[in-house]
Amino acid sequence: MLKKIGLEKLNQFVSALMEKETLFAPVKGDAGVNFQEIKDASDVTLDFYNTLQSPKCVFFPQTDDMVRYSLKKGTTEIEEVLLDPEPRIVLGVRPCDVKSFEIMDKLFTGGGIVDPYWENRRKNTTIIGYAFDTVDPTDFYGAFDIHAADTAGSDVFLVKGEKNFLLKVITEKGEKLLGSVDVLEDASAEDEEYFEERLKKGPELKTRTLSLKGVAGKLKDMFGSPYWEKAAAPCLNCGVCTFVCPTCHCFDIQDETLFGEGTRKRIWDSCMFTDFTLEASGHNPRTQKSQRLRQRVNHKFSYYVTNFGVTSCVGCGRCTRSCPVNIDILTVVEEAVESV
Amino acid sequence: MHNPYIPIPVDVTKIVTEVDTNDIKTFRLSFVNKEDEENFKYIPGQFAELSIFGKGESPIGIASSPTQKGYIEFTVQKAGVVTSALHDLEEGARMGVRGPLGNSWPIDYLEGKNIVIVGGGFAFTTLRSMINYMIHDDHRSRFGNITVVYGAREPGLLIYKDELAAWEKRDDIDMYVTVDKGDETWTGREGFVPTVCKEVGPGSENAVTIICGPPIMIRFTLPVFFELGFSKENIYTSLEMRMKCGIGKCGRCNVGEKYVCKDGPVFSLAELDQLTPEY
Repeated sequence: MLKKIGLEKLNQFVSALMEKETLFAPVKGDAGVNFQEIKDASDVTLDFYNTLQSPKCVFFPQTDDMVRYSLKKGTTEIEEVLLDPEPRIVLGVRPCDVKSFEIMDKLFTGGGIVDPYWENRRKNTTIIGYAFDTVDPTDFYGAFDIHAADTAGSDVFLVKGEKNFLLKVITEKGEKLLGSVDVLEDASAEDEEYFEERLKKGPELKTRTLSLKGVAGKLKDMFGSPYWEKAAAPCLNCGVCTFVCPTCHCFDIQDETLFGEGTRKRIWDSCMFTDFTLEASGHNPRTQKSQRLRQRVNHKFSYYVTNFGVTSCVGCGRCTRSCPVNIDILTVVEEAVESV
Repeated sequence: MHNPYIPIPVDVTKIVTEVDTNDIKTFRLSFVNKEDEENFKYIPGQFAELSIFGKGESPIGIASSPTQKGYIEFTVQKAGVVTSALHDLEEGARMGVRGPLGNSWPIDYLEGKNIVIVGGGFAFTTLRSMINYMIHDDHRSRFGNITVVYGAREPGLLIYKDELAAWEKRDDIDMYVTVDKGDETWTGREGFVPTVCKEVGPGSENAVTIICGPPIMIRFTLPVFFELGFSKENIYTSLEMRMKCGIGKCGRCNVGEKYVCKDGPVFSLAELDQLTPEY
């Protein structure tokens, strides 16, 4: 099923989605475009290359309340914060970011103990993927066999044409959503042709690339190499790479109390910070920034591959674009592997 | 949906100050709900997150044995925010526990073998769990000879003193308790743990040793066991690392691709050799 709506009618489409479910979509802010929960349909923009932060916040917000507690004299009252029950839609997710959800599923829900926060939101969310129409020189999603108009993982896939947005149903979940949005028109045969052409041309938009063959093992082999000191020399340990990353999942659990009332929450953390591994005794196994950069690169390109069979990177290029000292993870991996 | 991040409510029913320096206490925790008690099935060597709302959580090895019914025990040194708050608690206080977490001492592998337990200082908690488990009437026949070498810097720093005395009286466990330096009242053994291990010289045939202690003790004790003929597959220890979630999600306690919270904390020396040489 292919549907369409005029570019100028985006507002109507967004309003229709908001009537149905909680909507997360790209919003232009001072620093750039980011995913947000939408309160006003006119905030939404689909004119962006990619968002500054990844859409992981839809499933794994920067802070997530787990327990509310009240410290009373002699007793503590606690109340579990219930999981978000309401269904939601996330609109305008680029193909590489859609892929990141599947990678994170492996950690949070695949095997072992299931993370209820991630699972619950994943189950309740309909994803509207959004084809790229240009390539940024920092991107390298091609290395992971993702292309600019890759529909894999999306429930509905959106392509921006010259006059219309074209929307194709990919899954049953997507059909349920789109079937009941009546501001959409049926697409014409001409639209169908254009849409298929765009999907076909996806792989022709070439990103940078990298051969992943043997990388996990080679990174292990060169673990003790002085290369890491060289690579990490300019690093400021600001951690921005981990905060914008769609597959960085490390978190902290913190209690925040004010006048006896408090919340236990989980908060994004970063392996770039020195206190990430600091123990109460004062011992810290990763005091050097070279150790921490090595941890980040190896976690994504070696350890995750060993544990889950997939590289924990989608080549979205965010860390490279955001890094204040131009550390590029693709270059680091290439150089590290070559140094063996 | 089960939420693994929500602590189980427990009451502190007994607090024992273990050492003269007052910074190590054993906390006995009883479950508020009978159902939680039944679901909390653990094996010696596992740990749990002790949880105090307003302060946070701290991962601590379980010091009681599953053969002790109705409660669980943790021996905790006062070190950071959570453990300091724990030390300030009084009997009757309510707190939380998440667990049991991690793997355990390899009970199935240990069955039918002679067991040598070596502990140093405060790192004797999950070893105590293992000893109490093995010497329980239901389990004693499953294991061969049990030899325990336990040392501390001085007599006042030995933990579980009453139990040590009780074990000494039994004839089905060989106890070698030692201190680096005794005081005027000390009538027992003096000497470092590695030296005592050498004197005791347990046979390596069909035997496994479990070692926990400060790094310096472990460094000097291992060569003694290699000399006695113990292979790396038959020497076990337990690792510590900063943790938060305890279930392999939060990403901080890894050594290479292994997570101490879920793949450990127990590793054989052979397994440790395979780990990424991060530390």
